[in-house]
Amino acid sequence: MSANRWFATGNFYTTYREEQRIFVTHLDRLFFSLLLIGLFAWPLLVPTSNRNMLVINNILIAVVAVYGLNLVTGFAGLISIGHAAFVGIGAYTLAGTAGAIGESHVLITHAWPLMILASGCMGAAFGAFVGLPAMRLKHLYLAIATLSFQMIFSWTINFMTFFNQGQMIPVGRVFWINGPVGRNEHYLFWYYVILVTAVACGLGVRNLLRTRYGRCLVAVRDNDRAADAMGMHPGLTKVYAFALAGFFAGIAGALHTYMFRGAGFESFTLHHSIIYLAMAIVGGLGTLPGSLLGPVAIQILELQMEHLSEWAGALLPANMNLATAMRPLGFGLVIVLFLMFEPRGIANWWRICRTYLKLWPFRY
Amino acid sequence: MSYFFQLMVSGIVVGSIYALSALGFVLIYKSSRVLNIAHGQIIAGGAFIVFALTVWVGIPIVLSFLASLVITFFLAMSVERIFLRRLIGEPIISVIMVTIGLMSILDGVIYLTPFGSMNYSFPEFLPTTPLSLGGVSISWTQLVGVVITAILIGAFSWFFKSATLGISMRAVSDDQLASMSVGISVPRVFGLAWALAGLSAAGAGAIIGNITGLNYETLRAFGIAVFPVVILGGLDSIIGAVVAGIIMGLIQQFAAGYVDGNWGLNGTADVLPYVILLVILLFKPHGLFGTHEIERV
Amino acid sequence: MKRFHYRRWVVAVAVVLALAFTVPVQAADTYKLGLSLAITGPTSDAGNPYSKGVEDYIRLANDTKILGDAKVECPIRDDMYETAVTKRNFEDFVDQEIVLFLSYATGANQALAQDYNEVQIPVIPASMDKSLMAASKYIFLPIASYSHQYVGVAEYVAANHKGGDTPKVAAFIHPSAFGRAPLDDFKNAVAAGLKLDLVEVVEHGKDLDNSALLQRLASKGVQYVLCQTVQSPVATLLNDAQRLGMTAKTFGEKGKITFMGAHYTGGNDLIALAGTAAEGFHWTTSYRLTSEKGPWTDWQLDLAKKYGRDEKTANSHNYANGAMAAQVAVEAIRRTLEAGQEVSRESLYATLNQMSGDKAFASLAAVGPVSYSATDRMGVDAVQLYVVKDGAFRSVGEPFKPKYLK
Repeated sequence: MSANRWFATGNFYTTYREEQRIFVTHLDRLFFSLLLIGLFAWPLLVPTSNRNMLVINNILIAVVAVYGLNLVTGFAGLISIGHAAFVGIGAYTLAGTAGAIGESHVLITHAWPLMILASGCMGAAFGAFVGLPAMRLKHLYLAIATLSFQMIFSWTINFMTFFNQGQMIPVGRVFWINGPVGRNEHYLFWYYVILVTAVACGLGVRNLLRTRYGRCLVAVRDNDRAADAMGMHPGLTKVYAFALAGFFAGIAGALHTYMFRGAGFESFTLHHSIIYLAMAIVGGLGTLPGSLLGPVAIQILELQMEHLSEWAGALLPANMNLATAMRPLGFGLVIVLFLMFEPRGIANWWRICRTYLKLWPFRY
Repeated sequence: MSYFFQLMVSGIVVGSIYALSALGFVLIYKSSRVLNIAHGQIIAGGAFIVFALTVWVGIPIVLSFLASLVITFFLAMSVERIFLRRLIGEPIISVIMVTIGLMSILDGVIYLTPFGSMNYSFPEFLPTTPLSLGGVSISWTQLVGVVITAILIGAFSWFFKSATLGISMRAVSDDQLASMSVGISVPRVFGLAWALAGLSAAGAGAIIGNITGLNYETLRAFGIAVFPVVILGGLDSIIGAVVAGIIMGLIQQFAAGYVDGNWGLNGTADVLPYVILLVILLFKPHGLFGTHEIERV
Repeated sequence: MKRFHYRRWVVAVAVVLALAFTVPVQAADTYKLGLSLAITGPTSDAGNPYSKGVEDYIRLANDTKILGDAKVECPIRDDMYETAVTKRNFEDFVDQEIVLFLSYATGANQALAQDYNEVQIPVIPASMDKSLMAASKYIFLPIASYSHQYVGVAEYVAANHKGGDTPKVAAFIHPSAFGRAPLDDFKNAVAAGLKLDLVEVVEHGKDLDNSALLQRLASKGVQYVLCQTVQSPVATLLNDAQRLGMTAKTFGEKGKITFMGAHYTGGNDLIALAGTAAEGFHWTTSYRLTSEKGPWTDWQLDLAKKYGRDEKTANSHNYANGAMAAQVAVEAIRRTLEAGQEVSRESLYATLNQMSGDKAFASLAAVGPVSYSATDRMGVDAVQLYVVKDGAFRSVGEPFKPKYLK
């Protein structure tokens, strides 16, 4: 280890412990702290609008959900096309409870951190259950098993009167120390809640990957027979990967329900599962920064395409469908071109940047 | 009893359309291990091309059907050439993601045309009186659909069994490295697989469009509807796609015929295939006809 | 290793971020509305002409100076039928200080109902679900609800069925709350004395072949199938019925099945999808159709022609639907201005609530006047029955109000 933990140029690990540190240099830690402080402080310094806060909250919720998807698909190598259904499980745990005991029951409005956690646990339970076929199924066959879960989920929600047949189940406003959270501070309040959750979950995932359980996931992804031979249980590992994915998805679902003040089945369809997958892949599968960058990139791209099509609509003759078509067309083109030239996702740029900085001022 | 037979005949008809829709999906997976999420869009595109040629250009429907097969053949081939050729050797999940992007692009292209938001139906070119036998009836449209499906599947079977190109495709799906070393151009085979998938999708689209009318949402939903079919049959088996397609058609019809309305259940035809799929997968993890992979450490 | 131009990327990302969070500047002396609907994605076949109807009417209002010197502006956003996007659009519009919100889907409106109440903004949705009126007192349905249309069809059956027996009907509905909601009102009407025998409720899937279903219904003696869903499944059902020779040529033909439906089952899209199989299909809506000549026809076709719409859009009842929603909004602004009040959410809400009695607004697009009051926020109360004849919808009888629904 170089004596200077601020500007280490190159690798100086002498023990495994050193290699597994969360922050390699003090500079890393400083940057991370500054980023956190920035994230917490900016709404106090810059005037915010409800719409922008909604967009940002949505991104952060997606980040929490994609942590889970990245664990199961990126780290454990099990493709899941049913992630939105797990998010839906979380959302409906909360909404179903609200429907049963009343939307402004103390449990919903005051014990909301508990409800969020409970939704996560419910997501984990369903995750583990859906993960059971992973004991036998592999590759795309497993992917389709998750797709089946997505379909069965949609049908059940649509069918059961307990879930209001997929129509909106409202959830009341929550209370903070100084009384109920009103409409004006709603998005800001949830920004902080979601931010704290996202950071906590991120640190949780980062730490998990340093433990034997995290390494188990990667080992099973790379070769489950070899992992078996080394004494791991591939089946159980896969089930627990799904449970973890379900946990994060469940938490994201509960946050979604609280922020949107209710749950309706339109937010948890197959289309959303595919979008979550897109976020994870574009961000970079099997990387933690990827879980952050993917949702940011996809959602901002969507917004940009909306701007673009609105701008095009103002310029083009109205009887053409060009402005309408611009959004999906542009969205698809950017994703396809991006992946053609950078199949490993945005996180790969991140990696390149870091490698560059690590060796700086030397070049490779 | 004729009710039972009607359900069966309807199930076989619907199932053979599923089979044809699933065929293209299997072809792509078989050669390049890629899950093509944009399949529904290609199916819809095929149907729209037939309609545009028949009604707007004024070509007889039989010719425009054949023309649409040719057009989608080359369209799908160029899609592979432009977007996917670069990605050979990259992680499969990235390629699947590219097909998600492709789905969005094709959506955009179709929204450019009137088909994105308008509904149309094919001019009637077959007798509207159905064929009936002992209370069981089948329409001419359906019959022609089944015949076309049978012809296309027969042609594909012959192609893979006897034609040199087909055999080289099978070789590639078996072992890319070995087939390269005997002089097969793997990229060309991938291109061909996409082209054939496009062709079969267009065929399926034209048939479905004749039955349901041309509504973009309805048509592209078939891209997802084939998932349980291909998994049940085994992702890389053509005969599996046919058998599973028919099984799925039968399940749906019997579900709608006997389950719906009883025990307070309804609309089960949409969900039952997935439930049965899950159960079957627990016993046959590679589907009915899929290749059992032998894994080595 | 490819060289990584990180500076270029940092700049690009910064520009992208900056663009993402900009809000367009608003011009003075304009009243702003906002429309969020599905131009792509599910139900876009209805949403697309609807958006064009709104767009054209707003332009007409500005071009013909309906509001005098004041202008009205209505940004249109595509929400792809996604509640989350609708909510984003709504918050964006509220940030831009719109005075009235034009919304779309049932689900999104239910999700936003609490926000409507808190922001106190009048809303005109494209969905005619009865539950919306209960969800928020700020929601003003432009025309009769799905329930009214559905029960209207049923009442027509009960009144015009020939023969002494109680007519046997089956319900063919969408497997969602959208399909089921009117069914409850229908059952209530039957309990209240509507002489109908509901034999079976069918929730359809994505079936390609309904032969068995139709045979089953026929064997149970069903004579009328009342549909509450979207066009595509109805088209498949009609096609199957046609080839089985089950479609009634005239209303209530013995031994055959008469197919009928409410708002989203019909329109020119159904004829486009089902072709000749649509003949004899009965349909209720509150809109005038361009297939029936009249002053409204010319008005709608002129509007479409003026702004260069194609023929299909011009003749769509969803185009009329959108135009009328915008018309009601503009009329509310006009009346508020006329009364010398400042145009705001509160004053528009008050104006809309007073749109009743002799102050009801007679829109050309609908079969009755649009009337709202504090207790009744359903615009046009009457429905009109249409039937497909020779490839076009023709009206049957006069507009009527369902008796078994308030």
